[in-house]
Amino acid sequence: MDSSNYMDIANSFWMWVAAGSAVTMVLIQAFIFARKSYSTGLEIGLTHEQMRGAIKSSAITAFGPSIVVLSAMIALLVSLGGPISWMRLSFIGSAMFEMMAASFGTQAMGVTIGSDPMTSMAYANAVWTMTLGALGWIVFATLSADKMDKVQKKFSGSDTKLMGVVASGAILAAFGANSATHLVALNKNTVSCIAGGLVMLVLNHIADSKNIKWLREWNLFFALLGGMMAAVVWPM
Amino acid sequence: MSKQENVNDTFEHVYLPYIIKWGKLTNWTAVVLSLSPAMVLALIFDLMPPFSAIINGFVLIASAVGVVWFVEPISYFPIIGVAGTYMAFISGNIGNLRIPCAMVAQKVAGVEPGTNEGAIIATLGMAVSIVVNTVILTAGVIAGASVLQQLPKSIVDALQFLLPALFGAIFTQFAIQRLKLAPIVLVLCILLVVGVKQGIVPGFLSTLISVFLSIAIAVLMYKKGFLK
Repeated sequence: MDSSNYMDIANSFWMWVAAGSAVTMVLIQAFIFARKSYSTGLEIGLTHEQMRGAIKSSAITAFGPSIVVLSAMIALLVSLGGPISWMRLSFIGSAMFEMMAASFGTQAMGVTIGSDPMTSMAYANAVWTMTLGALGWIVFATLSADKMDKVQKKFSGSDTKLMGVVASGAILAAFGANSATHLVALNKNTVSCIAGGLVMLVLNHIADSKNIKWLREWNLFFALLGGMMAAVVWPM
Repeated sequence: MSKQENVNDTFEHVYLPYIIKWGKLTNWTAVVLSLSPAMVLALIFDLMPPFSAIINGFVLIASAVGVVWFVEPISYFPIIGVAGTYMAFISGNIGNLRIPCAMVAQKVAGVEPGTNEGAIIATLGMAVSIVVNTVILTAGVIAGASVLQQLPKSIVDALQFLLPALFGAIFTQFAIQRLKLAPIVLVLCILLVVGVKQGIVPGFLSTLISVFLSIAIAVLMYKKGFLK
């Protein structure tokens, strides 16, 4: 088994079928959940307009980060072929995890990605490592989702305001932690992080004070654009 | 029964059981299907790595990310709820894509995180982000690496600054609504990042610590009447 033919296997019809089945499952779940959420939303008093606004704005918001994921997929594509790269990043996906798992997998077969020629068996072991390495997340999340809900309800009782306070604390912490990494770095990432925040601040203010609905849907998009541009032109 | 009780009833006794039933079913199916590429390699192409190599690779990756399997679902749960947890951990890209979409959707629909309405809207937003992400990746993989590598270098360079801007923007969006809480959380997060750099705080725990300390501070401030 030489290194030239592993790409034929990696890009073969059957690998597309296997990868496609997993991606299809993710889409089916999204569809089932979205349909039920829409109908329940109407029952509990949300309007069509609110929900259409939510759908439209999240489609706009998803665009920018998806392009970043796409560029990460290209990096995987070169060493692992189309189907697996496509599936991993539509499925569990974080580019850093997949790259690390792939290199651990080939390493266990004595192949270093990027310097040694890849063998078919090293490729197969990379697939195994990426698959098994990600199972932990799915299994734990699936086993614990409904139980964590019970814990949270017990904790906050029927105080819906307290639930909101808990949620905002968690959101601020999650994005504060990510922002803090870039703020402390003191490089162009810092510029982008601060500029993104400032654009958001200004646009939010304009959208709310003048009640401009389309601006609310687009303001994250503009914040990302502004942050990137500020970082690019910043003299550093 | 008042209208509010009725709303809670529908959410608790119809919506949630439906989500839990289908969430478990689809996630366990996804677990099985995720093994299919490895199965195709073994059964159709006769490529079955030695058992020791599979275990070796698994131990390496488990020691690198094993703690995160537990830390992430727990840390993100207060933000994305039951439906979000089922979806996010089979579709990935949580912090950079799923949660931002859920948050923007809530803001545009004018609903609060942590409420039933918020959970419904967040689920819609995440579902849409899964579709958009899949469409873009599918178009990308069909276009192929050769086409994509011809993207102008300036665009590729600019893209690496997208995530910092995203994190700053989402943080700001929520900071506006929680002016008393946000600065405290940000200082805490910066201290933790410095702590990780100094080797005082283990890196894999820093998100969990910041999430739960911030929740604790938020709840304390709420109980003392500093937060509404």
